[in-house]
Amino acid sequence: MTEQSNQRPLPVPTDVSQPFWDAAKEHRLVFQYCREAGRFQHYPRSVSVYTGMPTLEWREVEGRGFIYAVTVTHRGPPAFRGTEPYVVATMQLDEGVRIVSNIVNCNPDDVRVGQRVKLFWLKMDEQFNYPLFEPDNE
Amino acid sequence: MESVKGHKVAKSGITDVAVIACAEAKNVVASGRSVPHLAGEVFSGALQMAGIDKDEIDGFVVCGSLTEAGNPFWSAVIADHLGLELDWCEGVDLGGASYVGAVARAALAISSGMCSTVLVLAADAPSTRNQQDFKAYRPEWQEPVGLMGPPGLFGLLSSVYDSKYGLDPEALAKLAVTQRQHALMNELACERLRKPLETADYLNSRIISDPIKLLDCVMVCDGANAIILTSVERARNSGDRPIVRLAGYGEKTNHKITDPLPDITETGHQIAGKRAFEMAGVTPKDIKLFNPYDDFLIAVMLQMEQLGFCKPGQGADFIHSTDLSYKGDLPLNTGGGQISAGQAGLAGGGHNFVEAARQMFGEAGERQIENPAFGVVTGIGTIPYARNWSVSNVMILERSA
Repeated sequence: MTEQSNQRPLPVPTDVSQPFWDAAKEHRLVFQYCREAGRFQHYPRSVSVYTGMPTLEWREVEGRGFIYAVTVTHRGPPAFRGTEPYVVATMQLDEGVRIVSNIVNCNPDDVRVGQRVKLFWLKMDEQFNYPLFEPDNE
Repeated sequence: MESVKGHKVAKSGITDVAVIACAEAKNVVASGRSVPHLAGEVFSGALQMAGIDKDEIDGFVVCGSLTEAGNPFWSAVIADHLGLELDWCEGVDLGGASYVGAVARAALAISSGMCSTVLVLAADAPSTRNQQDFKAYRPEWQEPVGLMGPPGLFGLLSSVYDSKYGLDPEALAKLAVTQRQHALMNELACERLRKPLETADYLNSRIISDPIKLLDCVMVCDGANAIILTSVERARNSGDRPIVRLAGYGEKTNHKITDPLPDITETGHQIAGKRAFEMAGVTPKDIKLFNPYDDFLIAVMLQMEQLGFCKPGQGADFIHSTDLSYKGDLPLNTGGGQISAGQAGLAGGGHNFVEAARQMFGEAGERQIENPAFGVVTGIGTIPYARNWSVSNVMILERSA
């Protein structure tokens, strides 16, 4: 997949998730962190899934981790036609949170569960940077 | 009362209720039919089979519909269309777990005295018109990365299974071939799917979202199904058919939601299955008919593991060593399942339930199994972000003369 795909749908932020996108604009990857439970959660929610209370703050993570789950899409949704095959994966970040995204700058045939990955910001337009990932060879 | 994980399960509410009739419309792709039209057909069919008057129906529960998704008053509106005057009316929106969940809720309504005879109905025509608007996490966290809906999510799930246990495509092929053979004997299955399938057809089918192939997935169609439930006592007085009693039920939604790093090969069926088997007082060895929710073949194998037919990771061995045909040790989705009969949108979850009832009534024609004393029907409802499926439920049925 090319990183310039102009057909990729823009995210639709909510009043809960807006801080994620504000931080993304500054190339900072942040997730909700429950102060009581000492755990992250993602996607963003109005309350902590651990306490049921708004015991949440946004914390920045480094953006490194490994591939927990991966699928190579050979027939994508209409907006992605012509960009196949491309990689969708669940990343498990070192801070203990998972995020689903694409892995780019790789050969789809070579991507494996357990492989190390690092953050790669995709500039979608002036409003949105989207967190993608790429192999981490360090 | 029995205790499972400190949680009291009321046995009597579920197990005093029996199925007295079932009906199903033929699955058709792009039928052009409206959902009320499909609903009317199975309503009439179920009444006719039960041999009861319309006015005896005093309770009604309907599953959601992708076609009617914009209607916030669906259960009351469709009940009105069918001319039902009711003491209990409800809609259930648990996705593919709706039908099995609706049966359990109807049983509780009967046993609590809210009503005596319930029509459980599901009708949907998404291959004619689909108005679903899932929202939730999708516009931000799924659509911008091109995650291909359920095939993409089951692709992710399959990769975790493969890295943990190894995925055996030949075992999944056996599921595909077995269910297709059953669909060939089911006149209500989609005609487009009523063609013989060989192992090689499955193994060579086009990759959608690796390792999910086209023949791992359901095909969407239009269809409808219905059953009628009443108390076991009334069922005994209502005719000559065998009594098909609800023997056990379990349900779990959002299994391990407070674990940010769960093993996604473990599902809520672990809990739901344990509850259902304990309530029924049986074990997987007693089951003679297994109709699990089958949106993807790997979901069938995972449920075999999670319900205790075999251990986690041993699904493929179990599949290879078990005759899953209607003549076999553990007949699997004898109507073809959704995989080979078609998935009628949110009515798809009723296909396997109605087939189980039909088998227990002894009215399954050439695919009739010999002694369906105990059967299992399950549901899988909606797929959450980065986890396993959301809703898992399990119903055990028992047939007696």
